[in-house]
Amino acid sequence: MAVSTATQASSDTKPAPPREWRRFKFPESLYRWGGVLLALVFVSYSIIYLNIPLDRFFNMFGRVGQLVADRYYPPEIDYVLEPDYLASVFDTIQMSYLGALFGMLMAVPLGWFGSYNMTPSRRFVYPVARLVTMSARAVHETIWAILFVTILGFGMMAGVLALTMFCIGFAGKLFAEEIEAIDMGPVEALRATGASELNVMAYAVFPQVRVAFTGIGIYTWDVAFRAATVVGFFGAGGMGWYLKRNILQIETYRVSAILVSIIVLVLIAEGISAWARARVAKAK
Amino acid sequence: MATAQATADQVERIIAARSKTKIVRLLIFVVVLALVFLSVKTTIVDDTDWARIGSVWNVLESIGQFIGINWSLVPNLWQPALETIMVATLGTLLGVVVCIPAIWFGALNITPFAPITYPIARLMMTLSRSIHEIVWALFFVAAVGLGALAGVLAIAVRSVGFIAKMTAEAIEDLDPRPVEAIRAVGGSEFQVFIYAILPQVLPVMVGVIVFEWEINIRRSSILGLVGAGGLGLVFFRQLNTFNYPGVTTVILAILVLILFGEMVSYYVRKAII
Amino acid sequence: MRYSASGPEILKGVSFEVGADDFFAIIGPSGAGKSTLIRCINRLVEPRSGEIVLYGTDVLALNSRQLRKLRRGIGMIFQEFNLVNRMSVMDNVLSGRLGYVGNMVGLFRLFSKEDISRALSVLDRVGLSDHVDKRADELSGGQRQRVGIARALMQDPKLLLLDEPTSSLDPKISREVMALIMEIAKEYKVPVLCNIHDVQLAMEFCNKIIGLQDGIKMFDGPTSKMNTKKLDEIYAMEVL
Repeated sequence: MAVSTATQASSDTKPAPPREWRRFKFPESLYRWGGVLLALVFVSYSIIYLNIPLDRFFNMFGRVGQLVADRYYPPEIDYVLEPDYLASVFDTIQMSYLGALFGMLMAVPLGWFGSYNMTPSRRFVYPVARLVTMSARAVHETIWAILFVTILGFGMMAGVLALTMFCIGFAGKLFAEEIEAIDMGPVEALRATGASELNVMAYAVFPQVRVAFTGIGIYTWDVAFRAATVVGFFGAGGMGWYLKRNILQIETYRVSAILVSIIVLVLIAEGISAWARARVAKAK
Repeated sequence: MATAQATADQVERIIAARSKTKIVRLLIFVVVLALVFLSVKTTIVDDTDWARIGSVWNVLESIGQFIGINWSLVPNLWQPALETIMVATLGTLLGVVVCIPAIWFGALNITPFAPITYPIARLMMTLSRSIHEIVWALFFVAAVGLGALAGVLAIAVRSVGFIAKMTAEAIEDLDPRPVEAIRAVGGSEFQVFIYAILPQVLPVMVGVIVFEWEINIRRSSILGLVGAGGLGLVFFRQLNTFNYPGVTTVILAILVLILFGEMVSYYVRKAII
Repeated sequence: MRYSASGPEILKGVSFEVGADDFFAIIGPSGAGKSTLIRCINRLVEPRSGEIVLYGTDVLALNSRQLRKLRRGIGMIFQEFNLVNRMSVMDNVLSGRLGYVGNMVGLFRLFSKEDISRALSVLDRVGLSDHVDKRADELSGGQRQRVGIARALMQDPKLLLLDEPTSSLDPKISREVMALIMEIAKEYKVPVLCNIHDVQLAMEFCNKIIGLQDGIKMFDGPTSKMNTKKLDEIYAMEVL
C-alpha cells in the first residue's frame, strides 16, 4: 500500500517549544480583569452613594403588590372611554404619524448626507449631517417636548415638532447605515454614464434601500407612537396630559385606566408594525 | 413590416401600463397628502394658541433666551451627572438579572414548556419595551417613593425587553457543532454549557448590555423630571426658575454625558467582539 | 467489536469487527448511513437495536455517567472541526480533558500542570506550537483540523472516530491531515474508524474498508481486495 507521509516540518528543525504557558497574559489580561474590577467597585460605590434603601428594595414586591391591589385596581375603564379622552387618543395617533412623516422626510436627505459612501462632501456635509442626526438623537424626546412647549406654548404643535426631531435622529441614523450598506456597483455604473448625483440616488441607491427604508419607516412610527403617548405629560398634546392631570389629582383608578389604555394601544401599534414589516419583507 | 407594427403596439401597451401605474401612484399620493393636510389642520392649526406665539420674531426671541451657557452652574453639575451614570449602570445591571428568566423562557431551543413559557417571555419583553420609561418611573415613584431607587427600577424594567430579545435570539442561533464536540469528548451537560454554549452567547450578551447601558444614560438623564434625581432634576429646577441659559447648560451636560457613554460603549464592544 | 444497528431505517443491519491496529475506512454514496454509523458508536445517535462492544463493554447498556466515561476514551474528529471559535487554541485543546476533570475545573479553567504540559506537547506533535494563544477562528482550515486532532489526542483515546475529516479541506492539506492521523494512530496504537467520501484517500491511508450503500454493508475487507468493480457496486446509486 503506497503511503505518502507529509512531513510535519516545524517540529524537527525548530528549537524545543516552551514548556511554560500562563493563562494570565500581560497586559491584555490586566486590562480585562482590571476593567471588570473597576466596574464592580463602581457598582458597589453607587449603591452606597445613592443611598439606595436596599431594605425597601427587597420589601418592594409586597408593597407593590399591595399598592396595586389597593389603589390601582380596579381601573376606571369608563373614564378612558369618554369622548374627551378618546379624542385625545385620536390626537396622539395623529401626532405620531405626522411626527414620523415629517421626521422621515427630513431624515432621508440627512441619511444621504450622513452616509460615508454617498455623501456629496466628506469633509463638510458628512460631519455636519452626522452631527445634526446625533444631536437630534441624543436629546431625549421629553426634553424636545419641554423645549417646544416653552417656546410655542401648550398644544400639539409642540408635540409634533418634538416627535419630528426625535424621528429625525432615530430614522436619520438608520437611513445612513442602510445607505452605507449598499452595493456600490450600480452607483459606479450610473456615475460613469454622467448622471447627476440626484439621479444616481434615484436610480442606483433608492431601489436598493427602498424595502429597508419602508421597514425603518414603520419601525420609526411605532417608536414615535410610544413617545407620543407620553409627550402630553409635559403639555405637548395627546393622552399624556390626562395622565398628568389625574396623577396630580391623585385619581389613582383613573391613572391605572389610562396606563392600561396606553399599554393596549402600544401593543396594538406594535402588532400592526410587526405585521406591516413582515409583509414588506416578504414582498421583497 | 409585421414585426415593426408588433413592436410599436408593444411600446404603446407598455407606455399605457406605465401611465396607469403612474396615475394610481399619483392618486394615492394626493389622497395621503390630503389626509396629512387634514391632520395638520385639526391638530396643529386648530389646537395652537397662535395669539400667544405671536410673530416669527417673537418665536426667535423665545429661542434666543436659551442661548448662552450658565457657567456658574457647571461645578454643580458633576454630582448630578455622576448620579445619572450610577442610576443608568445600576438599572442596566438589575435589568440583566431580571432578564434571566425572560431569556430562558424566550429562546425556543431551551424554553422548558414552549406553549406556555415562550409566550410569557415574549409578553414580558413586549411590555418592557412598549411602556415608556417615564410611565415606568411614575409607577415606581408611587411604589417606592421619590429618589434614585425608582429611577433604577424604571430603567431596569425598561431594559429587559431589548437585552432578553437579543440574547434569546443569540441562543436560538447557536452553532451546534461545538456542542456536539464537547459531548463527544465526554463532557457533562454542565461542561457543554460552559465550554460550548456560553462562549457563543456571552459576547453577544455583553455587547447588548453595554449598548443598552449607553441608551440608559439618555433615559436616566430625564427621569429626574419625575423625581428620580440626577441631571433631570437640575433641568427641572432650572426650567421652573425660568433660567433658560441654565436649561441649555444642563442639556449640553447631558449631551456630553451621552458622548462619554458612546465612547465607552464603542471601546468595550470592540474589545468583546 | 461487533456492531449491528438500525436507526430510523438509516442503517439496516450493519455488522463488523475492528482490530486494535486497524485504520478502517467507511465509504459509500451520500445518505448511505456513514455518518450515522460513526455517531452510533459513541451514542451521539442512539441506535434502535443491535450491539456495540468496545474492549469488552456493551456500549448500549451504559447509563449517562458511564457513557461519559466511555466517550472520554473515544477521540472524535469532525468534518467541520467543531471547535469553539472564540476560544484560544490552548483552551480548545484542553477541552479534550473535560471528560476527566470535574465541573468546577471546566468552569474556572483550572487545568493541572500535567494537562497543560501534555497540551503543549500534543500541539507540538501536530505542529501548532506557534499558534497556542490564537483564537480558533484565526486559523486556516487545515490548522483547525489539527487542533481537532490535538484535542482528540488529549483524551488518551482508545479509539478514534473520524467523520469526514477532510471534506472541508483542499486536496494537499487533506493528505497532510490523513498522514498525520495515520502516523499518530500507529504511534499511540489506536484503532481508527474513518468515514470518508474520497475513495483515493481511503485506499491510500487505510488498511481495511467498509462499503455502505443505503444502510447496507456491501463490502468488508482489506484494502487490497477492493477493486473498481466492487466500487461500482457500492456507488451504483450515485450514478443514477
